[in-house]
Amino acid sequence: MSRFFATGSDSESDSSSEEEQIQRPTGAVYTFSDDEEETKRVVRSTKEKRYEEITNLIKLIRNYKKIKDMSSMLTSFEQLTRAYAKALPVIAKEENGQTPHFYLRCLVELENFITDVWEDRKNMSKNNSKSLTSLRQKIRKYIKDFEEDITKFKENPDQEDEDEEEKAEEAEESDGEEDRANAFKKASSAEANAPDVSKFKKGPTIDGEEASDSDEDWGSDSDSDSTSSDDDGQYTNIRERFIKKTTDKDDDEDKAKKKEQRKERKDKERKKRRDEDDGEGEWETVKGGVAIPSEKPKMFAKDAEINVQAVLKKLTEVIAARGKKRTDRREQIELLHELQSIAETHNLGPAVAVKIKFSIISSIFDYNPKVSDAMKPEYWSKLLERISEMLDMLLSTPDMVIAETVSEDSEEYETPPYKLHGCVLTLVERLDEEFTKLLKECDPHSNEYVERLKDEKRVSTIIDKVQEYLERQSVVSELCRIYLRKIEHLYYKFDPTVLKQKDGEIASNVVTSVQVMEKLCKFVYAKDGTDRLRTRAILSHIYHHALHDNWFQARDLILMSHLQETIQHSDPATQILYNRTMAHLGLCAFRHANIKDAHNCLVDLMMTGKVKELLAQGLLPQRQHERSKEQEKIEKQRQMPFHMHINLELLECVYLVSAMLIEIPYMAAHEFDARRRMISKTFYQQLRSSERQSLVGPPESMREHVVAAAKAMRNGNWAACNNFIINEKMNAKVWDLFYQTDKVRAMLTRLIQEEALRTYLFTYSHVYDSISMPTLAEMFQLKRPVVHSIISKMIINEELMASLDDPTETVVMHRSEPSRLQSLALQLTDKVNNFVDSNDRIFELKQGNFFSRSGNQGNFRDRQNYNRQGQDWGRQRRDRNREDNRNY
Amino acid sequence: MAKFDLTARIGQYLDRHLVFPLLEFLSAKEIYDENELLQAKLDILSKTNMIDYAIDIRKQLYPNFEVPEELNERRNRVLQELGDLEDNASVILKLMSDDDTMETMEKMRDSKSLNHFLLKESDFRVEMMESLVKLAKYRYECGTYSVSTSYLYFYMLVMPPTDRNYLDVLWGKLASEILVQNWETALEDVNKLREYIDSNAIGNTLQVLQQRTWLIHWSLFVFFNHVKGRDLIIEMFLYRPHYLNAIQTMCPHILRYLATAVIINRSRRSTLKDLVKVIQQESYTYRDPITEFLEHLYVNFDFDGARQKLQECQTVVFNDFFLIALLNEFVENARLMIFETFCRIHQCISIDMLAEKLNMKADVAECWIVNLIRNARLDAKIDSKLGHVVMGGQPASPYQQLVEKIETLSVRSEALENLIERKLKAKNQDSVSIVWN
Repeated sequence: MSRFFATGSDSESDSSSEEEQIQRPTGAVYTFSDDEEETKRVVRSTKEKRYEEITNLIKLIRNYKKIKDMSSMLTSFEQLTRAYAKALPVIAKEENGQTPHFYLRCLVELENFITDVWEDRKNMSKNNSKSLTSLRQKIRKYIKDFEEDITKFKENPDQEDEDEEEKAEEAEESDGEEDRANAFKKASSAEANAPDVSKFKKGPTIDGEEASDSDEDWGSDSDSDSTSSDDDGQYTNIRERFIKKTTDKDDDEDKAKKKEQRKERKDKERKKRRDEDDGEGEWETVKGGVAIPSEKPKMFAKDAEINVQAVLKKLTEVIAARGKKRTDRREQIELLHELQSIAETHNLGPAVAVKIKFSIISSIFDYNPKVSDAMKPEYWSKLLERISEMLDMLLSTPDMVIAETVSEDSEEYETPPYKLHGCVLTLVERLDEEFTKLLKECDPHSNEYVERLKDEKRVSTIIDKVQEYLERQSVVSELCRIYLRKIEHLYYKFDPTVLKQKDGEIASNVVTSVQVMEKLCKFVYAKDGTDRLRTRAILSHIYHHALHDNWFQARDLILMSHLQETIQHSDPATQILYNRTMAHLGLCAFRHANIKDAHNCLVDLMMTGKVKELLAQGLLPQRQHERSKEQEKIEKQRQMPFHMHINLELLECVYLVSAMLIEIPYMAAHEFDARRRMISKTFYQQLRSSERQSLVGPPESMREHVVAAAKAMRNGNWAACNNFIINEKMNAKVWDLFYQTDKVRAMLTRLIQEEALRTYLFTYSHVYDSISMPTLAEMFQLKRPVVHSIISKMIINEELMASLDDPTETVVMHRSEPSRLQSLALQLTDKVNNFVDSNDRIFELKQGNFFSRSGNQGNFRDRQNYNRQGQDWGRQRRDRNREDNRNY
Repeated sequence: MAKFDLTARIGQYLDRHLVFPLLEFLSAKEIYDENELLQAKLDILSKTNMIDYAIDIRKQLYPNFEVPEELNERRNRVLQELGDLEDNASVILKLMSDDDTMETMEKMRDSKSLNHFLLKESDFRVEMMESLVKLAKYRYECGTYSVSTSYLYFYMLVMPPTDRNYLDVLWGKLASEILVQNWETALEDVNKLREYIDSNAIGNTLQVLQQRTWLIHWSLFVFFNHVKGRDLIIEMFLYRPHYLNAIQTMCPHILRYLATAVIINRSRRSTLKDLVKVIQQESYTYRDPITEFLEHLYVNFDFDGARQKLQECQTVVFNDFFLIALLNEFVENARLMIFETFCRIHQCISIDMLAEKLNMKADVAECWIVNLIRNARLDAKIDSKLGHVVMGGQPASPYQQLVEKIETLSVRSEALENLIERKLKAKNQDSVSIVWN
């Protein structure tokens, strides 16, 4: 049914005895529910259900006979044989191995009908005649099994003739009526032990009036022949006797008598219906014989000794019903609760209590039939309580062990050390999954969500408890799993004490979440055997570092982990985590003013325009190909609960601003360069779409703000650019979402100033012969050394053809801008150069000069290579994203 | 100055015998308390067999106390044990004392044939090598390093690298060579060790990393004493990714030595860029005046900062065991670096400012510049009226750029053409044997 149970433990392999299992289907049913309707329905459950199925099919066949629909008849017949085969065990039990009469009748009739119609088949449609042929074959073959019974049946064909009309009517009988009939049957059969034959003979005069009514009953009568229990055997005997007697007499008389008998029964039935209580009472007594488990609600007989064994036996009994179709799950939970209270009142020790609690928890999990749906809140809270109770118990009894390694036979309940079969870990994992499902079910903006979210704390404490328990056991693989659970509850939460500690406001010995993460993750790194847990741990670790501004640690971890290369081979959930980590890494890099890194981290997320999907924060409507229902379901399962979402607008804004800071100076520097390439496609799109507008209004949205800022920066107008990026609107939308928002804004202003200066120099250097640095410093409100350093850097990197004149503090431009012809010629030389290079390379390749290359590609973990990888992040991740999309 | 002292950090990757020179140096510099240093030395000695030395230091440290009896006793025990070990290895010792055999041995290239020869000529058994190694180790512990080197040399002659003691012997040999200051052979040993470690003979990556870290530290002795060391250190630390990686993960403080080596290596300015990248990357785990100097000069172009750092650098270099010999060279090259960068950016510099930036007096600076110009290292002229240095040379015109770019092309293409032609010829002559992929 679910993963949980597969690993779960006790159910199917139960040692509980065979008989119990057989009797349970009836047993569970007669319990104590006071809901009458339900009880009724339940009563029919076993044989009635089968019989009903058969009669319904017979009814259908009769109908088809009338309209001569052979093909339908064929299918119905097939169904019928199948249903019969299914009912065989019940029939064998109920009828002493005899084939029920009504069934035989149907067969005989069908055979007759076929022989009748057989001649006619040429008039039929092709389809029908074909069906007829196969039906004939089938029925001949089938009937052979019943030959004996049929011959017996044919001995009194009178019954058959009579029934012709009634059959149709019988078909119309409703369920309720049939129930009634059954009840009646049984009641009567109970009395029928000594049905006076004289009774039957009584009052043949009424015959006429009751004819129509009794028709109805005739059917049920025939039913009763077959349906009732052992007594029926007697009864049929009696009837046989009766028939034998009547064979001497006239047929008519016989008939009359029969009708009278029917009427009599009907009277009885009516009477019974009239006083219901009585009827109930009778009902009970009848049942009493058949179903012992009706005692069950009391759990134990009053005088039975309640000890550990008894309780456990009961427990296995109850649990064994689990997972079966007919089991009422709610009832099971109640049963278990009752058992628990019994166990408590008799003080059977912690092991039994834990075991029962364990079962209760399992059945609460079971309650929800669909795995994909969330649990009902009331059951959820119940579940939480039970689990924490159980864990408290577990923790308070130090010498108790629940493990899957304990086999069921070696369980120890009575004396410490207690040993139980089961797995707390899977339980908690399931609980956690249920919790996420619950959260996803709620509307994230409602109070309900907040209410649910409050349970997070309880879930976390439960996980802590399990951790404590598992630490006692110290099974490494399980510890890894529970640690990862804890990590997953921890990694996305921001802990302000970390930053305070960094600033020295809090003593360094205070344990913050970063330390906790460190400890947990390191354990997982060292001890984990499966790659998946380690990958997830490392990603969460990076995420957590990035969240708390530990940029270097986060960067080193991601570079050392090699995950950029392998992530596309992992499961979607891990890929989502990777995307989330990259998003936060980008944000962290941005806060640290590492604009290039920020851009690199975010570019793949943003480029596709499917951030929402990549981060699993919502489904995008797909235009081209609709997803199938199933796919949608899977995707929905993957979604992150709302409280873990990353603000997309923030992400996009950070990305666009980083792109602006890189792209605008680059554009200015390579204005006439033919080999200029786009750094950020998304940013270009934004720019272009705004350029296409004939009339540009004041910016409204975040994107418009960034575009306006970019335009201002292009002109080297840093102040305007700064105003577009940092203003009240943008603060409210974006920047206030950062923890140390003022720091970020200051950093941003500084960067804007610097990049604007660079852009300005690129753009306007050709109109100057010399520029004084103090003026520049004033223009961009930068300190002189900073201006000096920026310009020096540009000169060294040969971005700016100029040199400094120290005594006058000016930048002297060298006329080196090539003319158009010159620049074209330079481009040409570049191309020729490339050409020669590629020639060389091709030749080398042909030579098979591979060895010199593969030399430095040892698979050792060298960081130098990572770094090269790091610069390649872009491409790597782009590939991965493609993979991602395919997965989605 | 203890702030930038790396002895403690380096010490943990060194053999205890190798730490002595460092400690000696420190006590000469008087940065730390003398008694503390002596105590440290004594602690280190307690686990060696250099009892005499220990007794000496004890006397220095506690002049008023008598040498405890147990030390004397131990001394006797050590001597006795040494005698036992020598007895065990007597056959080999005899072999080694025989010059003729040694000569023939050295001529043999192959350890197998050597083995064969030894078995034939004398009653040598391979098992004896074990005792020889033990003896060498014991000798080493006693401080007679030169004897130990000769033993180990013999071992390495005879035994193949697959022997399980081989790695230990290599380390022992290197340590002994360093301690007897035999830099030429020490360098050979470093290379041998490096080859051994890189040959993946050690399966565990963690262990390999550890071995590399040790090798990096030990080789510092060699690199800063051997003539060719400065080139080799760059080669090994910066351009062997495994070692760079080891430095970055295990011991970023080595960057100081790497940086110094790059700075004093005037001919290899191209390595600077790579080094600066590494320094920037590791700046959060390690920084000292030398790395900061490079950062100021090549990342921020902050000449004032660089100047200040240069001053700090001088004290750091002066107090570093490995670097002290390079002090003058370092300062000279650092100044040159500042000046070069300066010249690349500026077209006109006042000598006063330059002197200030280079930590020199104005007339000394002028003199220095004049020397530079005379040696044709600098295309500049001095305007003595204004006290300026005016850089000559304009950036290349587009025409020049064009010519520069194309210059080599024809040569390269021609070379390629020749190559292909030759190949084709060879192919035609012997078309069966050469497979042209």
